[in-house]
Amino acid sequence: MFKETAQLFKAAAPLLAKTTLLKEVRISSTHGGSSVHGHRYFNVTCSICAKVPPRKKPRVKVDIPGLERITYGDRMHYVPGLAKPSFPTWVRDWNDPSHYYAPKEEEMPLHKEKSCFVFNQRTNALEGVRQALWLTKSKLTKGLPDQVLLLAENEANQIENQDERVQNAIRHARFWDTTEERPSREKFCVALLRSLIHLCGSLQVSHPGLGRRILAEKYSLAATWSRGEDLFQVRGQNGLLLNSMAPLPVLAGKEEVQSTADHVLETFYPISPTIDLQSVQVYEEQNHTGFKEDYPYPHAHTLFLLEAGDTPVTLLPEQLRAKMIMFAFGNALARAHTLHGTKPGVLEQPIVVQSVATNGRMFQYVVFQLNTTDLQADEGVKNQVWVENDQLLYDFAKVRPLIKKRVVQIPPGLSGYKPETFQKFLSLYLHGAV
Amino acid sequence: MAVASLSRALRSLSLSWPALLPTQTAGQTVRQAQTSSMFPPLTCSGWRGFMTTACLEQNRNAWKQREKYTIRPIGMKKTGGRDHSGRVRTHGIGGGHKQRYRWIDFQRLRYEPGREEQTFEERVMEVRYDPCRSAEIALVAGGKRKRWIIATENMQVGDLIKTSGTIGRMAVSAKEGDSFPLGALPVGTLVNNLELYPGKGATYIRAAGTSGVLLRKVNGTAIVQLPSKQQIQVIETCMVTVGRVSNIDHNKRIIGKAGRNRWLGIRPSSGLWKRKGGWAGRKIKPLPPMKSYINLPSVSAN
Repeated sequence: MFKETAQLFKAAAPLLAKTTLLKEVRISSTHGGSSVHGHRYFNVTCSICAKVPPRKKPRVKVDIPGLERITYGDRMHYVPGLAKPSFPTWVRDWNDPSHYYAPKEEEMPLHKEKSCFVFNQRTNALEGVRQALWLTKSKLTKGLPDQVLLLAENEANQIENQDERVQNAIRHARFWDTTEERPSREKFCVALLRSLIHLCGSLQVSHPGLGRRILAEKYSLAATWSRGEDLFQVRGQNGLLLNSMAPLPVLAGKEEVQSTADHVLETFYPISPTIDLQSVQVYEEQNHTGFKEDYPYPHAHTLFLLEAGDTPVTLLPEQLRAKMIMFAFGNALARAHTLHGTKPGVLEQPIVVQSVATNGRMFQYVVFQLNTTDLQADEGVKNQVWVENDQLLYDFAKVRPLIKKRVVQIPPGLSGYKPETFQKFLSLYLHGAV
Repeated sequence: MAVASLSRALRSLSLSWPALLPTQTAGQTVRQAQTSSMFPPLTCSGWRGFMTTACLEQNRNAWKQREKYTIRPIGMKKTGGRDHSGRVRTHGIGGGHKQRYRWIDFQRLRYEPGREEQTFEERVMEVRYDPCRSAEIALVAGGKRKRWIIATENMQVGDLIKTSGTIGRMAVSAKEGDSFPLGALPVGTLVNNLELYPGKGATYIRAAGTSGVLLRKVNGTAIVQLPSKQQIQVIETCMVTVGRVSNIDHNKRIIGKAGRNRWLGIRPSSGLWKRKGGWAGRKIKPLPPMKSYINLPSVSAN
């Protein structure tokens, strides 16, 4: 034995360094060397690898009233011919949070007979803007209102070296922020929006009103209204909200508001307006802006939504605009309910909320004016929406050129910058402070 | 013995398995038998009946077991033609591109809850290819729901299609894509997606480009000619869709090479030479007699 082990040791010592040989040795030792490993332990594997037939339908148990089954429960062992006993389910008589079972939906305290349709940030409304218009009882106008657009055309309201600084912001988001060829959308989308907001904020020197704003993240909204026979809610977190101390000026005058009563809402007959909205029966009829009563910035100014592709649901532009309208409306409605109570009626002072959405390249602008909280019937005064859709800030931002057939199709760097898109962004930002 | 204990100590220091030459592995078991009396065995092979892995059930079809309808594509597991016990149940299946299953609602007359017994319309939102069948499928939306159905020949996005369960006195003039009971349609209509029993869901005439013909209507039953020219008799409340199934050029596509069939998940046949049987020669057989799917109560029963 001494000799053998000494040989083993000698032979093994130089091999320790050579890893390649080691592997071969290991494989051979497991396969050929040990006869123990190849065994199947039938007492174990038979029970594990047994054939499992497809699931059978459970047999229907017939209960005959007045007759009691004779079970083998008393004997405490199986007896052929006797029925299987059924015992009441054991209930833990102490509170164990790690084994908590929620009560049934019907037994929850907030359960109601009437179902409520909830619009949240993941809702992908099939009919898009048309559906949002029906739900909010609004009249659509293409393009932004003139008084908003005029703001950025004024030289005094523009930023110094505006176009250059915006292009630098784009370059920052697309090129300077990363070492990769193309940063992910979830990265450059956020970077671009943040730097554009920052750029607009630099006008605070000339417009001190811009200082009376605050940006809120991850706020949660709740607004309830009834439309037709159904109850609707806008719920949950949605985006960045720019709050201000003073409300936004009203865009449409009283006469224009009155004239919306003639507008007929568009319907989409075979499809119900509640399609794709989440139908719940456990809910609370809540109206809350997401901020405390004494919050110094109570007025929602602009809602920034990011379509960065990092959420489970990616929305098409049409559905994104519907989401913008719904959440702008939700913010306005929650504000109106806190101001005037939940009694529906035409507002004396309409509430205006703006919304901007971007996917890092394309911008959507929405301005919503809440004229009425009486949404039950289709007649009467309507709310108003101005939508400016699919505005490209730039055509391409590429690190490498796109070459096809030895012709440069798209040059490297930023190309096709469109200054009008940022002007609209700036005018929405300045709205209410100039 | 001293060297043995020294080598054991060194072995415990090294993280990897003790290195042995193949010539020395034979001696390992002998050595283990000698040392095991003194030291407990360090290797796993010394344990009896101890398994660290467990075989899972073969070809689990958990992806099929769903309660609630969804239009989302469902990820499928390939079976390779094997059944639950792992044996080949169907030859010639295996491989192919990964596919996802889109749940087709074959029961066209599925009323929305709360709107029973009413004729309803739906709008076609999308017509697309489906990897799981030869015909194309259409996403239709109506009321509060969306569902996939089998598309008919000229179905296009934006079309309104109607579904009705009533049999009127007059035969309806049906548009393509509409769905009616057989009794409501005029004789000679081209139909597809035929139900055998009312409310069971369409099982016949679903392949690409096929259509059946409504031949006769006889006191509460209807006789339909299938694409195979066989005639079947069903109850007249069975639902059908009017028209021909989409993708009519399905039989004209050129597979081109053996590999394309592999993409589709079809494996070559065994290659074993087999003598042709009686099926190979010329024969003209009469059509089988009309098959009836009507379970009328027998006269003696009442």
